[in-house]
Amino acid sequence: MGIRLYQEPQLEDPILVASWPGIGNIGIIAVDTLRGILEAEEFGEIEPWDFFYPKRVLIRKGILEYLEFPSTKFYFKRTEGKDIIFFIGEEQPTEGGRMYAEGKKAYHMANLVLDAVERFKCRRVYTSGAAVSLIHHTTKPRVWAVPNSASLLSEIRGYDNTVLMSDIEGRRGHGNITGLNGLLLGVAKKRGFEAICLMGEIPVYLQGLPLSYPKASKSVLEVLGHSLKIEVNLGKLDELDQAVERRIEEFYQQIPPEIRGQLDRLKHVSYAQPTEPGPITEEEEKGIMEDVEKFFKKRGGGG
Amino acid sequence: MSQGYPITIRKEPDLLQSSLVLGWSEDMANLGWRVTDYLKRKLKGQEFAEIEPEDFFSLGGVVIEDNLARFPGSKFYACQEYKLVVFQSGSPGAEWHKFLNSVLDVAEHHCRVKELYLLGAMVSFSAHTTPRQLLTVVNSVEMKEVLNQYDLAGDMDYQTQAGERPTLNSYLLWIAKERNIPGVTLWVPIPFYLAAMEDAQAQKKVLSFLNERLDLKIDFSDLDQEIREQNERLARLRSRLPQIDDYINRLESNLMLSEEENGELIKKIEDFLREGG
Repeated sequence: MGIRLYQEPQLEDPILVASWPGIGNIGIIAVDTLRGILEAEEFGEIEPWDFFYPKRVLIRKGILEYLEFPSTKFYFKRTEGKDIIFFIGEEQPTEGGRMYAEGKKAYHMANLVLDAVERFKCRRVYTSGAAVSLIHHTTKPRVWAVPNSASLLSEIRGYDNTVLMSDIEGRRGHGNITGLNGLLLGVAKKRGFEAICLMGEIPVYLQGLPLSYPKASKSVLEVLGHSLKIEVNLGKLDELDQAVERRIEEFYQQIPPEIRGQLDRLKHVSYAQPTEPGPITEEEEKGIMEDVEKFFKKRGGGG
Repeated sequence: MSQGYPITIRKEPDLLQSSLVLGWSEDMANLGWRVTDYLKRKLKGQEFAEIEPEDFFSLGGVVIEDNLARFPGSKFYACQEYKLVVFQSGSPGAEWHKFLNSVLDVAEHHCRVKELYLLGAMVSFSAHTTPRQLLTVVNSVEMKEVLNQYDLAGDMDYQTQAGERPTLNSYLLWIAKERNIPGVTLWVPIPFYLAAMEDAQAQKKVLSFLNERLDLKIDFSDLDQEIREQNERLARLRSRLPQIDDYINRLESNLMLSEEENGELIKKIEDFLREGG
């Protein structure tokens, strides 16, 4: 069980940008899009056998030809600003039927990722995921940023459309990030790497749907591009974004009018001034959440 | 223990150039378990090794089946005289790569296994009166050539569909290929309304092939009796319930039933067979 590097690229203080699938695949779409835009080159992988069950078999004329595992790959790109290593995991190594990675395997994978990039003197890590929020799908998602060191707070405050946990109503700076997109942040801290997790907001009523949410990936990409000093053409995601928007609208119209009416009120939620009371009170927020939960329970799991 | 794997060897078997037959306990119509049980019984298999369960199975209690508490077992039996190893196990829920390599470690290092025969059942929408087929998937061209002389359907094309995962048999076959151990999965289609029961005809189909291939000289008169009894029971049900007879007639004519009709057929047959028909 280990790292397999096909080549040892010459990189100068590279930055790691890593992601695994999660709610709305927000992080992985953002990271993979950036990897594609920069035409980063694959240079290694983590051997999958001890982390994953195979995902595909190919049998031709009665002969087993091929067994494919979920991929966990490293890519690199030398840029004028900063050299970047991408790590993209196709699945999270879960145990006991859980949705997100936790426990020994997750910890081991996080350490393997850092072992690989440490060889290239990487000291900074970005991960990305989703932030389930009380927002409407027609509003531009913000990016919640969580650093693993206080020294990064002032830098994050300079990012556009980005909030710290302390800026989010009712959070008082607290929260949690499930799965490897969060765990890597902690393991990086333990090993002395600087790390930031960028989470794009997804409306609470969309979190259980089997849909990606590229609108939030765009928000994450904007912040990543700014932080890495790379100009990113967000148009790459437009087609996917429009297709998903249409499906979301179809779903939205199926929601009973009384609940949809409540959700429509989220269009007017403004978090720009967190200390200023918004148009929806805490009590009303609670009511909306209860209605949404009831709707999904009735619908059978939200899928 | 062997090579860091959790294997207990109770008695070193005296085997060279042996074959290994593997059956999983969760198989449809209990096929893998029944066939391997039959081989153990007929060929006087002696337990000699076991894979310890703690890394592979959820041990949060016990499962009760047919009034009895069950415990996951992964055991090897040697049928010395026939150069045969039988392996029976539940499907592991974790650490599959380690588990399957443990199986092959015992096979390779303690039994000098030259070939693997993996058993599996698949659902079929044909009637129980349709002769059973034996479909094969091999892990090498050489193995396919060897099996060409038998009455097998060996030209299957298949690719995992969205939302599905490869079977444990495919995974094992692939690891065996990496280790240069030739192997085959023997797939028997089971009529869907017998999937939760037992299908002696399907068992006989696999056993007859193994009997011929491995020169086991098994007398199948007991299994033939079981097949006769099951066929008679189903014939009684058909004569008693015209609706069921009609459904089976339609299947015999290669016609599909509706989902509702399928459900009714399954329920009536399962109830009837469970009550001793």
